[in-house]
Amino acid sequence: MEFVAAHDLDEALAAKAEQPDAELLAGGTDLMVEVNLVHHRPKQVVSLRRIGELREVSSTRIGAGVTWSRLERGDHRGLAEAARTVGSPQIRAAGTIGGNVGTASPAGDGLPWIAAADAAIEVRSKARGTRVVPWRDFFVGVKRTSLERDEIITAVVVPDDIPEAQEFAKVGARNAMVISTVSCLVMRGDDGFRIALGSVAPTPIRATAAEGMLNAEAKITEAALDEVARVVSEEVRPITDHRSTEAYRRHAAGVLARRLVERSLR
Amino acid sequence: MPDPVDPRRFAVVGHNEPKVDAYALVTGKPVFAGDASSDGALHIAFLASTHAHARITSIDTSRAEALDGVSLVLTHENTPATMYTTAGQGFPEPSPYDTRMFNPTVRFVGERVAAVAAETPEIARAATKLIDVAYETLPAVLSIDEALAPDAPIIHGEDEATGIHDAARNIVSVVDVDIGDVEAGIAGSAVAVDTTCETQYAQHVPIEPHVVRAYLDNDGRLVLLTSTQVPFHVRRIVARVLDLPVHRIRVIKPRVGGGFGVKQEILLEDVTGLVTLRTGRPAVAELSRPEEFVSSRTRHPMRVRVRLGATDDGTLRAVAMDVISNTGAYGSHGLTVMSNAGSKTLPLYNRAPDVRYRGRTVYTNLPVGGAYRGYGATQGYFALETAMDELAVKLDMDPVEVRRRNHIRVGETSPIFAAIGEGKPGVEQTVGSCELERCLDIGVEEIGWADKRGARRRDGPWVHGVGMSIHMQGSGIADVDMGAATIKMNDDGSFNLLIGATDLGTGSDTILGQIAAEVLGVPLAKIVVYSSDTDMTPFDVGAYASSTTYVSGNAVRRAAEQARAQITAVASAMLEEDAGGISLRGEAAIGASGNRVTLEEIALRSLYGSDQEQIGATASFVGDESPPPFLASFAEVAVDTETGQVRVVDYVAVADCGVAINPHAAEGQVEGAIANGIGYALTEEMLISGHGRVRNPTLFDYKIPAAPDLPRIRAILVDSYEPTGPMGAKSVAEIGINAPIPTIANAIYDAVGVRLRNSPFTAERVLAALDAVASED
Ligand SMILES: Cc1cc2nc3c(=O)[nH]c(=O)nc-3n(C[C@H](O)[C@H](O)[C@H](O)COP(=O)(O)OP(=O)(O)OC[C@H]3O[C@@H](n4cnc5c(N)ncnc54)[C@H](O)[C@@H]3O)c2cc1C
Repeated sequence: MEFVAAHDLDEALAAKAEQPDAELLAGGTDLMVEVNLVHHRPKQVVSLRRIGELREVSSTRIGAGVTWSRLERGDHRGLAEAARTVGSPQIRAAGTIGGNVGTASPAGDGLPWIAAADAAIEVRSKARGTRVVPWRDFFVGVKRTSLERDEIITAVVVPDDIPEAQEFAKVGARNAMVISTVSCLVMRGDDGFRIALGSVAPTPIRATAAEGMLNAEAKITEAALDEVARVVSEEVRPITDHRSTEAYRRHAAGVLARRLVERSLR
Repeated sequence: MPDPVDPRRFAVVGHNEPKVDAYALVTGKPVFAGDASSDGALHIAFLASTHAHARITSIDTSRAEALDGVSLVLTHENTPATMYTTAGQGFPEPSPYDTRMFNPTVRFVGERVAAVAAETPEIARAATKLIDVAYETLPAVLSIDEALAPDAPIIHGEDEATGIHDAARNIVSVVDVDIGDVEAGIAGSAVAVDTTCETQYAQHVPIEPHVVRAYLDNDGRLVLLTSTQVPFHVRRIVARVLDLPVHRIRVIKPRVGGGFGVKQEILLEDVTGLVTLRTGRPAVAELSRPEEFVSSRTRHPMRVRVRLGATDDGTLRAVAMDVISNTGAYGSHGLTVMSNAGSKTLPLYNRAPDVRYRGRTVYTNLPVGGAYRGYGATQGYFALETAMDELAVKLDMDPVEVRRRNHIRVGETSPIFAAIGEGKPGVEQTVGSCELERCLDIGVEEIGWADKRGARRRDGPWVHGVGMSIHMQGSGIADVDMGAATIKMNDDGSFNLLIGATDLGTGSDTILGQIAAEVLGVPLAKIVVYSSDTDMTPFDVGAYASSTTYVSGNAVRRAAEQARAQITAVASAMLEEDAGGISLRGEAAIGASGNRVTLEEIALRSLYGSDQEQIGATASFVGDESPPPFLASFAEVAVDTETGQVRVVDYVAVADCGVAINPHAAEGQVEGAIANGIGYALTEEMLISGHGRVRNPTLFDYKIPAAPDLPRIRAILVDSYEPTGPMGAKSVAEIGINAPIPTIANAIYDAVGVRLRNSPFTAERVLAALDAVASED
């Protein structure tokens, strides 16, 4: 296995241009699991850990190399809450948002926030420079993205007008180091509610029907909250696997959405 | 019987001595079997069956053998056909001889079909993929009900197997006990309860999987360095399977990274030993985590029905327990685990004159059951303590009070003690120590029972409740388990303590050293403890059945007392005083006159001076009873009524283990067992596909509890003194794991009014139970 520790983005981009099959390594908390568990042996690995520019963070641009431990203390309340639930202190010290986006697992705990924020993924290649891909176009399937082989994720670009009221919650088999059975992120702003969910479809999704229903209400009554739970349960598209059943995921998605909408009103 | 001694007068026993192996462990010394150098060793990898039930029609190893670096391939065609049991139990083992080293018929997905020995682990693994196996698949039995169906496929039809109760009906073993007339007792009771609980497949998850290193010593004897709980049983069973005399085998147990029962099993030693014998080279085998889950051993899943009859003041009149235990593809510990579901539970409620036990162990084409901390009692207590809670509800009585009215007390017995043993009848015994009332008093106080029971405190969607249960276990297998210890004195007044007892991380080397130190009047540092090595240490059955403190501890006490008698005799000559007035204290022998000689002086005289002899002794102990430790368990849980998630908020476990030789170590056993049991109650479950394949054989998908999942666990030990125990001790290793399932189930009932009768209580199961109740309303 050849290992390149890139010092800056250009060096990493050059390496990727030359060897598009090279695997990028950020915190390694997903990649090394692949290597160990699936016995996937990449020929070449390009490490991004020394690249300072990937670790820059502002309220509208979060570098791909920013770790969960940084995000736990960040400005975005919902993302910070999600960050706090990721893995363990060790995983949060190493794992990055770029890696979460790069893996694009349906259970990635950073992804519902990205969806709710209507954020975009900034990617760059040596050949074609930078492009900014809206999240809906970036996540295309289970662990599948529209990232080209020679591209590197550089940042998550966040619109500057996202609501401040943000709530995150997840359900899993236990508290510590668990893969979410369902995760949910709700934002409430002047333009209404946004509800995003993880683990209930191949990609993170927005519960648009429930959002539409809520945003048409003049006042959020108990009945409206119940309706949110029902609509969300219906519009998600979960599967049954060894972690949970479709029916339970539908139910829990509705419960979490209702709960977070209610919490955002307080 | 030794006189009761005030434990507070002990100088070493009852003190929190640091573990004798702590320094080596925390500084990362190469203490485990897997740490031994594997230079020049062959590495072993296994090919596992992908079928739940199939006959191997042909097996072609030529491609694997041709791979560069492969030295040997073992299959059923070139290995001994000797039938045996992998269960490391006393001889003759009460488990059927229903397996060979490699079976020509495979009976579960994950059963080993072949082993490859090669220069590297990678080559060995690669070679397993080059073995061509043709199978004729057979119909598979994937549940208890399928096993017992009238036309069920027969799993052990082979003629060679012995010790199976009724192979044609897939029944491994049967225990029927009737005391009085239980049907009449229940019919004549004012209140009756009938409840059935089922437990899941779970694994022990020792942090260190099974690992063995084999090599030949300079005399060509086979040496097995193995992570085992039962070195002497390993030696005997490997001798049988490999057709070697026992004296040609040496088994060494180094430090062990946890066992919990799964290492009471001979799984790798036979194959590793055979590779070494065939090739003359050292060999190493180590299970991967998925292999540990699937191909080693599990906790027997059980269906347990309990029926109770009681008077309207809550006194039990009749108790009936019906157990069906699923041993999987092989009958390892099949009879005894099932027996313990009754023998370790029913005596607890000895008020009932009518008692009935029915036990069946069945084969299925699923992973194999084995010994697992609690050993059947865990499964039995789920149903029994759920039933007791239901009884309390029916009587509108405090569940604590119902227990108080019915539990066994000092000076009392139960006919079950004699009726159910381990492969033979049990032994009569009278309880010599029982502080359960104190345990209950403390538990009630600590958990805040009076305020919390029935209060259903709400916190958003979370509703709180409290539950409790009580338990007993045993201390070794009476009349069966023997442990021995050798003590010898050195020049400087120190001692070697050589024990066959098997410290697997429990701290037994430390507490056995403390017992010796106490008798000999020296600090623990002057006892050099060595366990266990079949060439060096005397026999001991090993670490299981909560035996080490009581059985091996009594052997150590006896050996130390014999050495003490020899020392006082020498001191008597040196001091010219009567031996009867001499006591050992502060590394010296002190006469009635107050005159003293140091142990060093005594040692030097006996080794070099006059009347030279080695001061030392070997002593054995086999219990003629198995004094039960007791436990009262209390938990507060919070249930999310919308998602079904359960959180254990607080846990109090109050134990009577007799005198705690090392209180920290004993508390650690209770805390660990409760944590272990919380995992078993809430998250741990081997999920099995419709084809018999385990779907979650990794720690990613099989969730043991981690620190953020555990509440504050308060392990409290009450003062107690067991007259037959060493320094008043009983046992403490297993009992705690029996508690969390019923305690949490009963707390969930208190919180939200639903009964969980299938473990683990996952969010989905709790939600389904809540929905079921809601739709009844
Ligand atoms: C014990 C444990 C617990 C976990 N718990 C959680 C959890 O609770 N929630 C959760 O969401 N996740 C969890 N994870 C998964 C993982 O930690 C996260 O997905 C994390 O964000 C991955 O980041 P990383 O920097 O470690 O990625 P890496 O492993 O370094 O990379 C992951 C993938 O992304 C690619 N990649 C990384 N950076 C870039 C980039 N800049 N451009 C393009 N591709 C890139 C890599 O090539 C690789 O394919 C857990 C993992 C472990 C081992």
